[in-house]
Amino acid sequence: MGITQKIIFVRDTDSQESARTRDLAILFAKALRSEIVHNRVQVIRVADIGLYNKGWIVRIWPQNIMYAGFSEENIPEIVEKSIKGDERIDSLAVEMPNLQKRIVLRNCGLIDPENIEEYIASGGYEGAKKALSVSNDDVIEQVKASGLRGRGGGGFPTWMKWNFARNTQADEKFIICNADEGDPGAYMDRSILEGDPHSVIEGMIIAGYALGASRGFFYIRAEYPLAIERVEKAIADAKSKGFLGENIFGTGFSFELEIRLGAGAFVCGEETALIASIEGKRGTPSPRPPYPSIKGLWGKPTVINNVETLANVSYIFEKGAEAFSSIGTETSKGTKVFALTGKINNSGLIEVPMGITLRQIVFDIGGGVLNNMPIKAVQTGGPSGGVIPERLLDTPVDYENLQKLGSIMGSGGMIVMSEEDCMVDISKFYLKFCVDESCGKCAPCRIGGFQMLNVLTKISEGKGDLNDLDKLRKIAFAMQKASLCGLGQTAPNPVLSTLKYFEEEYKEHVVEKTCKVGKCQGLLRFFIVSEKCVKCGACFRVCPVGAITGDREKGYVIQQEKCIKCGQCYEVCKFGAIEKR
Amino acid sequence: MSSKGYVRIGMSTCGLAAGAQDVYDVLKEEILKRDLAVEVKKTGCLGMCFAEPLVEVNIAGLPRVVYGKVDKDIALKIVENHLCAHNVFNDHIFLIME
Repeated sequence: MGITQKIIFVRDTDSQESARTRDLAILFAKALRSEIVHNRVQVIRVADIGLYNKGWIVRIWPQNIMYAGFSEENIPEIVEKSIKGDERIDSLAVEMPNLQKRIVLRNCGLIDPENIEEYIASGGYEGAKKALSVSNDDVIEQVKASGLRGRGGGGFPTWMKWNFARNTQADEKFIICNADEGDPGAYMDRSILEGDPHSVIEGMIIAGYALGASRGFFYIRAEYPLAIERVEKAIADAKSKGFLGENIFGTGFSFELEIRLGAGAFVCGEETALIASIEGKRGTPSPRPPYPSIKGLWGKPTVINNVETLANVSYIFEKGAEAFSSIGTETSKGTKVFALTGKINNSGLIEVPMGITLRQIVFDIGGGVLNNMPIKAVQTGGPSGGVIPERLLDTPVDYENLQKLGSIMGSGGMIVMSEEDCMVDISKFYLKFCVDESCGKCAPCRIGGFQMLNVLTKISEGKGDLNDLDKLRKIAFAMQKASLCGLGQTAPNPVLSTLKYFEEEYKEHVVEKTCKVGKCQGLLRFFIVSEKCVKCGACFRVCPVGAITGDREKGYVIQQEKCIKCGQCYEVCKFGAIEKR
Repeated sequence: MSSKGYVRIGMSTCGLAAGAQDVYDVLKEEILKRDLAVEVKKTGCLGMCFAEPLVEVNIAGLPRVVYGKVDKDIALKIVENHLCAHNVFNDHIFLIME
């Protein structure tokens, strides 16, 4: 025909500035005009094309050809062959990288979470139908074949947990979905429950059938009102469709689901504390064994699975264990959802196959560090995890590797840190979180955490000495060994891992009494550089405590003993005459 | 798939916090007002939280794209340019789906 409408999408991926992309669009528009095809080709500047630091990119619709890293000389050729014609220039073409693999998030953002029909249309509840048509031993066998491990942090094989509960004799058994997500910066579970609640419900039906449970509970924190609302609706819809209730799919299996709200205590994500909370008691952990899969809720065998684990279960039964186990590494199968946050350009939820490197996650998916700052470290696993320094970013992500580095997979928080972050400050932040959230039942966690925080505060105020580093290590060791539950055992991880990889930085704080990035307020000092100062008096007027003295003739000085380090003078100065050191 | 096009708005907590409800209301109202054969749907989080609110537009004859950082004005632009005039527009596309 020759008059086909085409659209070309352009983007300069080396820069966040839209002006650079505009230049590229103009080049194309000019080339098209001289070829007199501009009236049937639209040039569109896009804000993000999914590739980073690959130079110029053009994507041609409808053929979906993409060219990257070309220069101005290539433009006439691209116009001639691929825009006027339909030819593909192989030397310039790139494939859209497919680093993400969506299993858990397969429907998130694609279906209406409040409409069960859309979930069914995308293959939903097929897995449950299949699972309920075989014996429960077969169900557990399939989960075993898939290699699925708990996504809540520990990485315990899911089938084993189910098997323990299945083999325990009891008149009643329970399955609990742990949606008490409390790590700072993590929100995978919330998004799954809000975006695709039925996939989790389906996983629970399958799990309930496997262990012979007749009742299941969602334990969702009350801070997630939208998630609760959508899960409530999803349960009601599933019930009206006959996927929950008596005699599901005519198999004689009956299963009920209920929601229990958590009041937002971090420790209630721990299995035994969670059970206590559902029972209406105070949410404190109790010693294990007996494990919940033997003696859990109201003394009955109980399996507690994380939201993401259960969403994986429904996928495994829909698509088969093979489809799941073909993804990932030797010991860690499948994918993992991470909440990528911190100093990163594209913060958000990502789902990647196990075995991908942290560097790929940060630079190829996340689009690099904010403001092109050098990356310093990546923190995984929230307050129970650790910090992984830049030089180890090429490590493949799986349960074992992260553990070796002194971090954990955790539930999936991933926080990117740039050179602007102080490691002492970071470890203080995480430890403070655990100290606040400690239930206080056992002494190592209650006292140890508090003492460690005191030492860290001392260091960040410039009052520390070298013995403090040893003291930190000693208390950390005691906490790891003697705490009652996972919270206390893992609370020192952020401190230990920063001490391991960034000991120099601690020593700077202790010996030189400086914080190079200026995060530790106690170590900061503000100075007026007289060469740059124009004696305008702006800092003098803004200082809330009168720590700046002088006048417009003699100039101004900061009285260090009065200064409270609020930084207002630093911000108000237009001449860069105030320095912080 | 039916020939009827759709717009889909990410309405999880991340989207709502960024203002997806306003965007949804504008799109719904404008599409009703103009009597367009376009369905307005809600959905969950697509994962690109940095660009919320996200609006995916899929109508016949145009590529399936996701607009990001949509506010009321851009929502209006989606209706006027993309849905009515069949023109994809600049600077707000964050994902090209097909």
